[in-house]
Amino acid sequence: MSNTRKKQWRWPISPETVRSVLSSHSVLGLAFAAIIYLVCLTGTIAVFAPDLQRLEVPGTPVATHLSDAAAARALTLAAKQAPADAALYLTLPGPAKEGATLVAYKPDFERNWAVAEDGTLSSLEAVWTEFLIALHICLHLPRSWGGFIVGLTGVALLSSLVSGILAHPRVVRDAFHLRLGGSRRLQEADLHNRLGVWALPFHFTLALTGALLGLSTLIVAVLSLLLYRGDMTRVYALFIDPPPPVDARAVPMPDLTALIAQARTRLQGSEPDNIVLERPGRADMRLTVHGRRTKLLVAQDEVQFDAHGRTIHEEHPRDIVAGTRILGGIGQLHFGWFGGLAVRIAYGLLGLALCVVTSSGVTIWLARRRDRGLPAPHWERIWAAVCWGQPLVLALTAMLAFFLPTAPLTGAWLILTAVSIAVAALARQISGACLGRIGRLALWLTLAVTILLYAGRTLIA
Amino acid sequence: MIWPLGIWTASLLILAGGALGAVLLRASWQRREGTAPALLAGGWAILLGLVIAAACVIGPVKGTALALAMEGIGALGVVWQGRVRRKAARVREIDAAPEPLEEPGRFWRGVLRTLLAGPLGMTAAMAVAFCVTVYMPGDPRTRIVIGGLLMPVLWGLAMTWTLADRRLLRATAVLVGTSAAGFALAILGGMISGAAA
Repeated sequence: MSNTRKKQWRWPISPETVRSVLSSHSVLGLAFAAIIYLVCLTGTIAVFAPDLQRLEVPGTPVATHLSDAAAARALTLAAKQAPADAALYLTLPGPAKEGATLVAYKPDFERNWAVAEDGTLSSLEAVWTEFLIALHICLHLPRSWGGFIVGLTGVALLSSLVSGILAHPRVVRDAFHLRLGGSRRLQEADLHNRLGVWALPFHFTLALTGALLGLSTLIVAVLSLLLYRGDMTRVYALFIDPPPPVDARAVPMPDLTALIAQARTRLQGSEPDNIVLERPGRADMRLTVHGRRTKLLVAQDEVQFDAHGRTIHEEHPRDIVAGTRILGGIGQLHFGWFGGLAVRIAYGLLGLALCVVTSSGVTIWLARRRDRGLPAPHWERIWAAVCWGQPLVLALTAMLAFFLPTAPLTGAWLILTAVSIAVAALARQISGACLGRIGRLALWLTLAVTILLYAGRTLIA
Repeated sequence: MIWPLGIWTASLLILAGGALGAVLLRASWQRREGTAPALLAGGWAILLGLVIAAACVIGPVKGTALALAMEGIGALGVVWQGRVRRKAARVREIDAAPEPLEEPGRFWRGVLRTLLAGPLGMTAAMAVAFCVTVYMPGDPRTRIVIGGLLMPVLWGLAMTWTLADRRLLRATAVLVGTSAAGFALAILGGMISGAAA
């Protein structure tokens, strides 16, 4: 018997270890399931943030080309509407991004605009999209704490991917099995494993980049303690250009059109991708033009001018170290904003797959309990409320933002989430499966109405 | 030069290539008497070849990321195409996956495991990652980013291991030892490099 078993067992780790790792996979998955699901769901939708912004703000201009004069005009117009010490970030249209956008930012101020082809600005304050991205990045908690929890979720997801593969000795044998119907547990296990294995490189990339983005504050804090006696600014200064020395004297703005045109010639074959204007109209003004190259993930060419229009800095890919390049690409790789709509759709589909993997993981555990005669009906209901309730709650907040753009979306999300889970926990007469069907129906209806509302308004505008 | 001209074309080509690779692998997988080396090699060659081609034509990171995503979708399409409908509600023994190891639940073991997988695992992962950052040759920016990328991976591995290992004292000793030694070395290296700076 044992000889036969040895012959059949072709996995590098023993059956007992597989069972231990599976137990670890199960514990970790259950502990983090709800938060992984929420982060994956919001992340999947956040991939389409540029499209959602335009849907949310009707009549948003989508520039396919922005001349240097139009770019200069947009920056000048924004400078008049923002505090003098705010930085203006103008993103130009390109193959990976439709439309031009402009953000005015300083720690306590932020305004967003869409830029038309003639350089005029129109407000792009998409409250629901901002709410969604903040939910994904920091769960609407204080930035460092929320970021840490999301980073920890990324680590848990990474760990689950590793343990999931190690605990899957039938990875080759079941590589193409997808058995639907019949046993719920087998169906969910097939879905869980096939989606998990075939999309593994994507899931791994997403978890790793997400974990690093979330844990970056902690990593920088500890590194600064080790290397620079706790001075975090010295770590940041390695990656970010230090601001120019303060000189708040008012000076006339240089000819921005000429400077952008000059930058274009200095970018050595790369196309202007984004322009940053700091402290416009002051003696310490700085204009930075970044250029993108077709094969590179992010813009790596840079030309900087001062308030007098003198070139003060120039950088090209050969001058940039690997660390800076990797760091610059992490966000793009995580959100899939590097290749236009085709990449966004692919990220959306695979993100949805990760949501299904998370959801089916818990369903397998619940089905296993039921098969063993130890059903957990309250957890079945609660999990149904999370799986179908969260997309429903997000759709409801989108509907709320449509009718009341100033409504507190975070509070609404929190209340609706708490109510959905409390109702699921208390509704003992309804089974988890039935609650799932109700949730599914409510979700499709709400989603259809919400899409009709936004799409209808966009068509009318 | 494919990128600006035809991202959609490139994506669809890779998607179709991924599906073709998966079809060949599936054909080999379906054979009852062993695998077919030619189909297996052909399938993997298409999948790997497409990643390399995309990296060369579209860009090393952009192309690889696009190829891995599109191939995954193509392969999942093949899996979906080959789905079967079952009626039997019972799982045959041959189809059953391994069962997780059940341990009698003890509160203190749960607390210790949480501490091991959480704070202690994080500290040990940081200690090793920052040792790499401090001692690895090269530009400090690259060392910091490599260390930063290593940290979540090592923490994830520590989580998997500590939650799977039943010998909690061993796991505790290894993580505490790694944390102490790693941070001592990293601090020492940091002081030397700080003094040098």
